[in-house]
Amino acid sequence: MSQLQARFFTENKRYAVDDVPFSIPAASEVQDLSHVINTLLQAKNESHKQVEFDFLVRGQFLRTSLSSHMETEGISTEEVVEIEYVERIAAPEPEECMMHDDWISSVDADTEWILTGSYDKTARIWSTEGKAVMTVAGHKDVVKDVAWVKRDGLTSLLLTASLDQTVLLWEWNSERNKVKARHCCRGHTGSVDTIATDPTGSKFCSGSWDKMLKIWSAVPTEEADEVEEPPDRPRKKQKTEQLGLTRTPLMTLSGHSEAVSSVLWCDSEEVCSASWDHTIRIWDTESGTMKTTLTGSKVFNCISYSPLCRRLASGSTDRHIRLWDPRTKDGSLVLLSLTSHTGWVTAVKWAPSHEHQLVSGSLDNLVKLWDTRSCKAPLYDLAAHEDKVFCVDWTESGLMLSGGADNKLYTYRYSACQTDAGA
Amino acid sequence: MRRKEEQRENMSKAKEKSVRKRSGEEEQEEEIFSFSSKQPAEEEEEGGEGGGRRGGRRICPTARTACSPAWRILGVTVRRRRRRREEEEEGDVKSGDEEETAQQGAPSVLKEQEEEGGEKEDEYENDTSDEEDIRNTVGNVPMEWYRDFPHLGYDLDGRKIYKPIRSQDELDHFLDKMENPDYWRTVHDKQTGSDITLSEEQVALVRRLQSGRFGDVDFNEYQPTVEYFSRDVMLHPVTNRPADKRSFIPSLIEKEKVSKLVHAIKMGWIKPRRVEDDSRGRYYDLWASEDSSILARHKMHLPAPKIPLPGHQESYNPPPEFLFNEEERALWEQQDAADRKLPFVPRKFSSLRSVPAFPRFVHERFERCLDLYLCPRQRKMRVNVDPEDLIPKLPKPRDLQPFPTTQSLVYRGHSGLIRSISVSPTGQWLASGSDDGSVRFWEVCSSRCLKTVQVGGAVRSVTWNPNTAVCLLAVALDSRVLLLSPSLADRQVVSASELLLSDKEGAEPVQGAESLVTWSEAEGEELNEGIRLKIQHPKAVHQVAWHAKGDYLASVMPDHSSHLQVLIHQVSRRRSQNPFRRNKGLVQRVSFHPLRPYFFVATQRSVRIYNLLKQEMTKKLQANAKWISSMAVHPGGDHVICGSYDCRLSWFDLDLSTKPYRMLRHHKKAVRGVAYHRFYPLFASASDDGSVIVCHGTVYNDLLQNPLIVPVKVLRGHAVSQDLGVLDVTFHPSQPWVFSSGADATIRLYT
Repeated sequence: MSQLQARFFTENKRYAVDDVPFSIPAASEVQDLSHVINTLLQAKNESHKQVEFDFLVRGQFLRTSLSSHMETEGISTEEVVEIEYVERIAAPEPEECMMHDDWISSVDADTEWILTGSYDKTARIWSTEGKAVMTVAGHKDVVKDVAWVKRDGLTSLLLTASLDQTVLLWEWNSERNKVKARHCCRGHTGSVDTIATDPTGSKFCSGSWDKMLKIWSAVPTEEADEVEEPPDRPRKKQKTEQLGLTRTPLMTLSGHSEAVSSVLWCDSEEVCSASWDHTIRIWDTESGTMKTTLTGSKVFNCISYSPLCRRLASGSTDRHIRLWDPRTKDGSLVLLSLTSHTGWVTAVKWAPSHEHQLVSGSLDNLVKLWDTRSCKAPLYDLAAHEDKVFCVDWTESGLMLSGGADNKLYTYRYSACQTDAGA
Repeated sequence: MRRKEEQRENMSKAKEKSVRKRSGEEEQEEEIFSFSSKQPAEEEEEGGEGGGRRGGRRICPTARTACSPAWRILGVTVRRRRRRREEEEEGDVKSGDEEETAQQGAPSVLKEQEEEGGEKEDEYENDTSDEEDIRNTVGNVPMEWYRDFPHLGYDLDGRKIYKPIRSQDELDHFLDKMENPDYWRTVHDKQTGSDITLSEEQVALVRRLQSGRFGDVDFNEYQPTVEYFSRDVMLHPVTNRPADKRSFIPSLIEKEKVSKLVHAIKMGWIKPRRVEDDSRGRYYDLWASEDSSILARHKMHLPAPKIPLPGHQESYNPPPEFLFNEEERALWEQQDAADRKLPFVPRKFSSLRSVPAFPRFVHERFERCLDLYLCPRQRKMRVNVDPEDLIPKLPKPRDLQPFPTTQSLVYRGHSGLIRSISVSPTGQWLASGSDDGSVRFWEVCSSRCLKTVQVGGAVRSVTWNPNTAVCLLAVALDSRVLLLSPSLADRQVVSASELLLSDKEGAEPVQGAESLVTWSEAEGEELNEGIRLKIQHPKAVHQVAWHAKGDYLASVMPDHSSHLQVLIHQVSRRRSQNPFRRNKGLVQRVSFHPLRPYFFVATQRSVRIYNLLKQEMTKKLQANAKWISSMAVHPGGDHVICGSYDCRLSWFDLDLSTKPYRMLRHHKKAVRGVAYHRFYPLFASASDDGSVIVCHGTVYNDLLQNPLIVPVKVLRGHAVSQDLGVLDVTFHPSQPWVFSSGADATIRLYT
């Protein structure tokens, strides 16, 4: 059996071993290498407990035997191989299952509360423990997207976007458990499919089926904006229907030729939108111009941006998750494709605290946890849903959420190991 | 058959009777029966009584007797006997009474016979008129001629011979039959009308003749023959005549004939038979003229196979290693003749002279001849064509992306088969009409059914208004066309569509069509569901089609007998008109030209294109199909595809010909629906075999370049129920996605 010269290293000081080359069998797999490291650590420290490790060779997770991995990656076996090892990521543990009355279209969670939008025309607020706190009803049609705006103590501002072409800005007091519609954002002429609040919480952006992106102020005021109404419309009738004060957009960004399916803020001045016209566009909200266009070949359903790795992840109808670099000027550069889903990828979300991990949901009823260092196969498949998955989320507190057409919102506790945080 | 046998039996019985009767009278004449032909009888008569009889028996030629039929024998002998009796009668006169009674019985018996036989017998069959009956001079005439007379003929003196008085009726007959032991041997004599009982000898004679034997008991038909002329040289030859002189002299006549022929040949009148040129021989060496030096250079030449030279095995005294041992011999015997290494078993002889004849000589020669006969004389060059090269070069499907490849979403909710689907012009909504009596509206991206409208009847066709400024759906069910405003769009669009449908002052019904079509507004519950207008048709509506501008609507009511098959409605003015005056065939589908004022009408076998402005037919496309099921017009308007129930899809290039530019026969069962994509070069066909076939169809602006048609994908997923598979197919207006609706109550989206 052939031997390889390997040098092990890790970012985590707790599990550091001597920086000397070891001769290890070429056919050894993750289990064997893990055993080697554990033995080394035990030799150094008597109190060391067995830890499962994962190994990275030149930034790629080792999934097969070392020799076959190096062969496929084209790494020479003559030199000393640098092998990085990290503590193995534990499987997410399912926690709660929250039943809804209808399909769940969207979810947005922060550390305390979970906000879900549903096809029963309402949005709901849940505690992270799975307790239904509040039902936000007011839309005349299906709620397509929800978002938290900001929280000042007990008062929270939240947004719901609906098929009835409006976005409602609500004020919710968690102590009194009262919700009040503050503003009704009118202006879209198609169903509002996506909304995103900017990092400061003062503005939000909405994307709609009418191919427009609109930027609105998220600050509640006591004044209603003037709306130019079509002359033949009876004004009286409209007033009675209205919930909250009318608000008009600050800015309209048009350029997409098809429906906008997903929108997000890259930073406080940049908005990124994905559309059915096979493009991802990045807009400057100061000037209201388009900065970059990333062109794909399929309809984009969702995008997510990670400030940690500065990558965009997109889910599209051809079952692939693609990673993009939004800073490239010429666009259409796919960095990586993650392929394992068998249906449309409807939701994708980067880990808030990990630069390599992301979670995706698909129409094939599966939620998958990915590590970009292992693009061939996901880390874990979360097969809890019995029907299409429409939305996923990942909070900073390590809670993963997914909701779908089986009316259930599942939460999973993901114990992001502290040791791995800096990796 | 049976009847004939019966008849024959009757006749023989009658003969028997007559013979018997005679024999009863004259027993001394039994030997006479051995005479059969006239000639010996005459001889006998000439020769006198006693000697004639004897002589007759003596010289009776066996051959003649053997071949004469029994009937004839009887007839002759009986007559002969009669003659003799009359000769006797001349000597000693018998009482005339007896004679008369016997004669009178004949006709009635004959009559009976005739009735029994049923068929009229040939009266001349037994005509021996040269031999006259002396008792009765009427001659050999059918006695039935005398049926109605009291007499049956005349004697030699010309006196009437009266029929014997017979008072026997059926009962008497029967009693006679029962009581008379000789009844069976009693025969009736027609000539005299009397009954005759046959004697034992006569009966025996009849029996013999019946069984095909000779009448004479003593006659031996197998007498040893005496060879007079034989190959044996006899001491005393039969003739001892010396040979004639003429047998030694050449014949003068022959000489004359020969000289005549010679003269004729000399004069050239007769051409002597040409002697066949046998110089080459009928059998010749095929390879004799082969010059090997020339032919060797000829590449295609194959020399004749040579007989391999004999080896040690063929030797009469081969070395022992060539001889078979037991094992090899057993193997040789077991093997099939064709598999044997050697065709013979090597044998060893002490000397050449003890070698026997080779038993397989003829066989071996035959095989050699066969080899030569069957051997190829020339090497044949076969053109090596790779079948792949003959297939026209088509681009690979993966170079023709994008096209739908996988099933992505299934829209479930209907409970009946879904006959028609339509995607809204924005691409956000999908409307479907099903046999369960409902129209459903689905969100395309999530497969969510957002709205269900119960229309109360199996929906045949649903179509979105192509105008994006309004949001309207036309639904055909039973004999109604409904216009729905599903309010699944912007408020302005919804109000625009409401405005279009709202009652106008100027909308005055036009005469003529008024009696056929009734426009009415929906009320109450229906209004809440979104139904706005109802157009009542006189017949069942199968299809509705919008004009591209969205104001005109065509509805199809297939009917064999009426010219009222297609109606064009104007929604804004609520008018309907029947554009056609004549029935040109059962209308299957109609469609408006997407850009120009043309109207496509697909009947069972052809597609007619009408110019709506000039109001005339501009073109007629022959589909070469038995029954067109569906039609789609290319968004450019210059191409039409038709699906037919005989599994075919025909693509017409309107600029090219009225015949199909391309026929596609990829489906196994009837094609139910075809569709073009609005701007991707794609078209799809749905079939009863449960599959949707997506084809790439690029249309070039260059008129010289024909469309490129490449089948790219077979999409499966629909279950076939009740022999119905996929019923409708439609493309998403902006994405390369295809929707199909099937008999399994699902709609599927392939992306």
